[in-house]
Amino acid sequence: MIARRRFVAGVGAGIAVAMQSRLAHAASTMVLRIGFSIAKTGIFATAAPSQLNAYELWRGQVNGRGGLTVAGTQRAVEFVQYDDQSNPTQAARIYEKLIVQDKVDLLLAPWGTPTHVAITPVLERFGFPMIGNTASSVKLRELRPGNIWFVTASFPDRVATALAKMLQANGVRSVALLTNLLPFGKEIKGFLEPALAQAGIAIRVNEEYPPDIKDMTALLTKVKQAAPDGVLALSYPADSPLYVRQAKELRITATFQFVLIGPAIDFFPKLLGSAASDIVTLGEWTPARNARARAFYDAYVAKFSEKPDYLDSLLSYVSCEILEQAVGKAGLDRDRLRAAVAHGTFETVNGTIRFTGVENTVTSTGFLQLQDGELQQVWPPAEATAKYRPKTAW
Amino acid sequence: MLETLAAGQLLFAALALGALYALVALGLNLVYGTMRLLNVAHGDLVMLGGYATYWAFAAAGIPPLAAVLLTASGGAALGAGAYRGLFRRLLAAPRATARIEANSLLAFFGLSVIVQNLAALAFTATPRGYEYLSGVVRIGEVAVTGGRLAAVALALALCAVVLAFLRRHVLGLAMRALVEQREAAAVVGVDIDRAQRASFVLGFGTAAVAGTLLSMTEQVSPFMGFPITIAAFVVVILGGLGRIEGTLAAAFLLGAIETYGVALTSPTYRSILVYGLFVTVLLVRPQGLLGRRAIVR
Repeated sequence: MIARRRFVAGVGAGIAVAMQSRLAHAASTMVLRIGFSIAKTGIFATAAPSQLNAYELWRGQVNGRGGLTVAGTQRAVEFVQYDDQSNPTQAARIYEKLIVQDKVDLLLAPWGTPTHVAITPVLERFGFPMIGNTASSVKLRELRPGNIWFVTASFPDRVATALAKMLQANGVRSVALLTNLLPFGKEIKGFLEPALAQAGIAIRVNEEYPPDIKDMTALLTKVKQAAPDGVLALSYPADSPLYVRQAKELRITATFQFVLIGPAIDFFPKLLGSAASDIVTLGEWTPARNARARAFYDAYVAKFSEKPDYLDSLLSYVSCEILEQAVGKAGLDRDRLRAAVAHGTFETVNGTIRFTGVENTVTSTGFLQLQDGELQQVWPPAEATAKYRPKTAW
Repeated sequence: MLETLAAGQLLFAALALGALYALVALGLNLVYGTMRLLNVAHGDLVMLGGYATYWAFAAAGIPPLAAVLLTASGGAALGAGAYRGLFRRLLAAPRATARIEANSLLAFFGLSVIVQNLAALAFTATPRGYEYLSGVVRIGEVAVTGGRLAAVALALALCAVVLAFLRRHVLGLAMRALVEQREAAAVVGVDIDRAQRASFVLGFGTAAVAGTLLSMTEQVSPFMGFPITIAAFVVVILGGLGRIEGTLAAAFLLGAIETYGVALTSPTYRSILVYGLFVTVLLVRPQGLLGRRAIVR
């Protein structure tokens, strides 16, 4: 009798487990898992929240709409994320794990050019398409990878050409060029030197510095002695405030002050106050771009109680929008998805975007300027929201 | 070039770097010297001090120079708590004491990871900063923002106070006795428990104050502590483990090497200069600049 009871109980438990497992499987197939690595620690950790916030905002919005549409069905988006410690090699290992072990459905990009460069071979090996965002590299573009695209208009060669034109248009005849040794700055420098020469702009100081620099007094003393019309600091978020603070102390009188990455992040003007005024930086977007842009800005401010990074938050969000639209058309089949991204036209918070090769060739390369605490687009003139102002005081 | 090297601006930059290194490394070496505890979470205490100051300023409008008192007391209380809750019993057990150096490294590393991630969870990884005393002050040919000047002055003053305390106050002398000869100190009646607690209080308190001073000149983020810990370790090893005067000398030497070395060569040589000096000292004087060679009889 006892044996029969045990048998019945065992069969019952087995059926329950089997049903639970089927239900769990059904539930898991309804979830769309998107993987990425993020620099939560290390030298890029200062910059990465701008990207992660944009991802979180997009996920919240998509799930709020009932999920991402894949082949006619809506699936809730779930993130699988790991800290890459700002280490590109670690990021490459993580992307391989995401594809092979975690078997994610889709990928989002990590932060920064070195990390994008490091994971590209992994994407190529597994034929896994991914939309890059906070990065661009001419060297990578020349390799013509087939599974990564860059939403930015800030490819180093285009930045160099546009910056030289802007300097020329504003009567700058000489500059000091200070370059952080990280790849993006170095690549821009490589294109900037000939572009400046072609524009007839002399480089009076040309120095490089490591990413972990603690003091720029010696460097800026040289700049002060050279007295150029402009300073082009090809810096990153960790060292950009250091440049501005010490340039203020030393009263660098150059009226064109360009700081590559950092001024578009919300903390920058809060930290530096009036010293940040009239600093020019990389970026081609303001909330005035279109109605979607304003909605993105408002939603970001409402969710995070701070302004989005006009460069990285924007690019990250745009990459999500493109992925969403491409998946909506092609589903999760990697070949179809790759074709959809490569040949599609996408409506985003940064306007219409299409790719030629790996590059967004529709959006114009632009520059922003901090004017009275607000970022204004000052280049190209046709898309400017305000006129460029020379920096006359710190 | 000579004009640049002789400039007061460069001297101030070297002094500023040295003062910060000194303040951070002082606390680290005090805890190591008295108890042989390798506190790799020291930089995270600096980070917590930075955040406390930021929030005091942003949320309550408390100026950082007043918040120094709050962060110093907070850091000191944390030190006393950590000693009482975690290390007092451990240090009292002779068997555990023998392995304390290696074990403390692991324990503090774990603590560091937890503190960093809790900070990221609580404050997010987004950098925070505020504008304070941002006007430029001119002293002769040296131009410096008020905030940076105040930070350097306070760091120097605090280093001097700690040094005077260690040399003049009975508790300070007890702590030095512990650094010099732990067993002998116990034999001659030094209150070991009190001196150890004081080291924790002073070490954690100075780290928190360093956080306040750093936040006056740069952005704070949950992961800012690690590079600070590394710099402090370089200073401590250069000066000699447990050697307080050596720490101060090494901090200013490192500040000078970084500033003048970069001026003479290029900023790209910074790491080569710093770690070149570090390796040279380790090869030539492994006991540190002012350290004494241990004699085992």
